[in-house]
Amino acid sequence: MNVTFNTNPINRYNQKFNQCTPKPQSFTGNPVSTVLDTEDALIKLAAEESKRSSFFKPFSDFYDNVTDKIAKHFTSKVVDSKALGYVADKLKNSNNLFQQCLIIGSLITSGLYMEKTLTNDKLEKDRKNTLAVNQGLTFLVSTIGACTLDKYMENWWENVTAKFVGLQVEDGKFEKNFKDLKVAINKVNNELKKTPDLDVFKFAEDVKATMGLSEDTYTILTRNIKKAINNSDDKLKSIPKINLDKFIEKLVKDKKMNPLSSELAGKVKGMGLLRSMLVFGFVYRFFVPVVVTKPANMLCEKYLAHKQNKKEAKQVA
Amino acid sequence: MKINLVQRDMTLKQGKFGLRSESHNYKEKNSVGMYDDKRGYNADYCGSFTGKSEAATTVMKKGGILTKKWFNKFLTYSYEHNISTSALVALVLAGVLRPTMIMALPGKKDKEDKIYASGHSMASAILGFVASTLLTSPLDSSVKALFSNPEKYGSKKLSKIHRVQEALEKRANLRNESGVIINRKSRELYKYVMKHKDNLEILAKNIPDWIIAVPRSILTIALIPPILKYVFGVEKKKKPDTVAENKNMEPKAMDFVEKPIFSQFKGGVK
Repeated sequence: MNVTFNTNPINRYNQKFNQCTPKPQSFTGNPVSTVLDTEDALIKLAAEESKRSSFFKPFSDFYDNVTDKIAKHFTSKVVDSKALGYVADKLKNSNNLFQQCLIIGSLITSGLYMEKTLTNDKLEKDRKNTLAVNQGLTFLVSTIGACTLDKYMENWWENVTAKFVGLQVEDGKFEKNFKDLKVAINKVNNELKKTPDLDVFKFAEDVKATMGLSEDTYTILTRNIKKAINNSDDKLKSIPKINLDKFIEKLVKDKKMNPLSSELAGKVKGMGLLRSMLVFGFVYRFFVPVVVTKPANMLCEKYLAHKQNKKEAKQVA
Repeated sequence: MKINLVQRDMTLKQGKFGLRSESHNYKEKNSVGMYDDKRGYNADYCGSFTGKSEAATTVMKKGGILTKKWFNKFLTYSYEHNISTSALVALVLAGVLRPTMIMALPGKKDKEDKIYASGHSMASAILGFVASTLLTSPLDSSVKALFSNPEKYGSKKLSKIHRVQEALEKRANLRNESGVIINRKSRELYKYVMKHKDNLEILAKNIPDWIIAVPRSILTIALIPPILKYVFGVEKKKKPDTVAENKNMEPKAMDFVEKPIFSQFKGGVK
């Protein structure tokens, strides 16, 4: 039996600390007490939950009804429409459809501001055109920048996502195996560029020995090489990269890992979306307004002043 | 029966930070095991059962933000509510970071402008988030409900996709003894169907953003001045009309010449 007394009546700092965060004397030796404490906490939680649910129930019921009606009379019609099917079909090869959606959304907003500038009666014609071009160019440059940054962060973010999956499935080696596989594929591809007649399987074995690849990772690597050889008509030039989704798929297929629950799969997808959200949000809502807009406006003003001077010089001549 | 006293160094030379940091360190170092090597017990350990092994707990501890409950909920939210999460990210960036950056930039002359720009940024971020969340949350929930049970909501296309997906799933993964896929066409078709469904879901979640972009922008432009005035107490001061001022100034400066006393004045040295 293990009893812990919290004894500290002297120190004024500790008294202050205890006043702020009063701690009950803990009796932790008996497992039954722990179970009882947990039970009490659960009962309290359940009572709170039931109170909350009874209070919010009318609201949540109303919200569910509205959602159901929208799903039945609007969303299902939109999803069934030929236009959406056509667009979804055309974008079947897109790697990051959400990114494209963000760009289109931003294009609409920028287009609206450009249109507002061009139809503003208070501005001179020259100024209108220059400002509209300025807005358009700012959108273009920032979009290219955001796409580049998004692409640049992809690899690092995928490793973070692998870490997240590893933590969720409580597999400490998941992240390492995934990273090792990516490095091994890069090594094989680099070596294939240098020596086209490479004995790929032997090299893969060497990579396994030097990097200390796990058996599962090595199996996926060799299978990937075999697949690449089968698909190539001529000599093998490179082996395809494996992203996180494929890695998980292969581990599940080999029964080395359980399939991800729909909830976890949603979270993993959420991680991918979050990257684009953060990058595009950072560029469109922070970097461009703070860093780009002011210099762009200054350039615009200088250009207009230069144009005006030229005009005046012509008139004088 | 073993009785432990919580022994802490109570000398005043440590100060309050000494006491707190020690306890904090204990939490970090020793919460996995009950006993500490040096003292033989862990003052912070309360005997709770976490349901996880020691190794798993160590792994979880290394995860940082990735293991936090709120982050997990946020990920689910970002998957289900794309537009609202984008607006939330914008709220943090344009509502907090941008004003901080604008105010931190050097330049004392245009302080009024800076305050106005910061207020404008915050107001537009808040409006954008509120409008996006209010308008798109029911739509997102309807998309989630529709894709999880298309028959209930009468979507013929999605119901068909579900049926085809279920039929193809088994055929697509059939392999021979050496592990080679038997039915490649079924696999290709299965992949296509899955991709098509994913695309439909992403488009259904994000197209509302395109539709509300124009009214949202108009609403934001219209509502920013009153919000700035009545909520933030900031108002854009009109710059003085320099041309008009000059016009007023010039005659005032020169009209003394036309006064009779000056007309009589004839210069020169007496």
